[in-house]
Amino acid sequence: MDIETKDILDNLTDGLLVFNSQSELSSINFSAQKMFNVKEEEVLGKNIEDFSDFDLINNVFYLLGKDIKECFRKELEIREDLVIEITSRPVLKNENKIGSLVILHDITREKRVESMKTEFVTISAHQLRTPLSSIQWTLERVLSKKAGQLTPEQETLLKKAFEDNKRMVSLISDLLNLVKIEEGKDVYNFRKASLEKVVQSVLEYYKHEIKEKEIKFEYKVLNRRMPKIEIDPDKIKFVIQNLVDNAIKYTLPGGIIKIILSVKGEDIEFSIQDTGIGVPKAQQQSIFKKFFRASNAVKIVPDGNGTGLSVAKKIVEDHKGKIWFESQEGKGTIFYFTLPIHEKENSNN
Amino acid sequence: MKKKILIIEDEKNLKFLLGQALKEEGYEVEEAIEGGEAFRKLEQGLKPKLILLDLLLPGMDGYKFLTEIKKDARYEKIPVVVISNLGQEEEINKARELGASDYLIKAHFTLDEILEKIKKFL
Repeated sequence: MDIETKDILDNLTDGLLVFNSQSELSSINFSAQKMFNVKEEEVLGKNIEDFSDFDLINNVFYLLGKDIKECFRKELEIREDLVIEITSRPVLKNENKIGSLVILHDITREKRVESMKTEFVTISAHQLRTPLSSIQWTLERVLSKKAGQLTPEQETLLKKAFEDNKRMVSLISDLLNLVKIEEGKDVYNFRKASLEKVVQSVLEYYKHEIKEKEIKFEYKVLNRRMPKIEIDPDKIKFVIQNLVDNAIKYTLPGGIIKIILSVKGEDIEFSIQDTGIGVPKAQQQSIFKKFFRASNAVKIVPDGNGTGLSVAKKIVEDHKGKIWFESQEGKGTIFYFTLPIHEKENSNN
Repeated sequence: MKKKILIIEDEKNLKFLLGQALKEEGYEVEEAIEGGEAFRKLEQGLKPKLILLDLLLPGMDGYKFLTEIKKDARYEKIPVVVISNLGQEEEINKARELGASDYLIKAHFTLDEILEKIKKFL
């Protein structure tokens, strides 16, 4: 017996829906029927708007709308035990749209593994804190000489241990933050806020450090009226803090740091330019990777952990903004990020 | 009379270190490993000025202890400061909603800082 196209489609592990140009379902393969718990004859020929009797498949309508918008790998939790990734593409013939193809890929297992990984990291990080606090408190007591006198050498050595223990504690906190933000669950608290104010509060915090390091500092807001935008001010503060912190850390005394805030089309753009050490060209593509630190940065500031920019990128992108940079080793770096002024429709990627 | 502080904590080392530091400051320290033992001590007449409470405990855990003590007219007024290594927002909020007077993440504070923080409740 010959294998027909329908047999192939039915035996795909991915679910497949085909809609004609009137948004009527013209084909649904076995996998999709199983995912949505429907039979072909119940739904075939129905318009995407008329799925309301079938609550699982109706999710597709909620996501894609009556015109079946294009989308790429949108996650959708259909049931507690079924998470799928939906991709929707137009079917084109001679450049005319004659229908839509909706592909459903089961990612339940991947999601479960991901959440187990997250849980593992979270639990181990918490567990590690207990012995670390005990070490910290012990060293603190010894250093306070409540347990007897110390020779100067002993004191120096113990102080180093105390400092490194503290570093480990802060590394764990960073790790927990990273995991939480990557997981992206309920971490954002969006509200209308002024980006200018957020920038101000960060600068206030770094005022002394900038002065102490004798860095020439400029801050300009190019538009007279900056619109308020929908953001999570604490998370955006974290982003700005990271960029300012990096600029200060990697700019040598006497250098210049310049921050500009401006409206650029549909977005607000934040930029921070420094005359610091720059990022070596060969390492520029890795700068937003987790735990990555450029070789010249490690030399100047040995104890960073390389999580800041990766979290910053995630936060900006979760705000539907963009973050990028230009840099020349030895000359300096400009980091930019944009945030949309108006909420973008939550559709295409 | 020395002011009494009740520490509810199951980690031996932490309890020892915290206890030592408090004693040096002139407080009298009582200890319990979990909420149930703490309640027994209270029933036997212990009158602490302050309770330092860990959250993850064998037996009655910190959340349950907080819930119970804030329901009990005899003890509800004793301030309870949570000292835990759990530090997620939801954990902090939950403890505060249950009536914790303050929330300190152990690893984030030195003993001196903890002593300073709890002073206002004594």
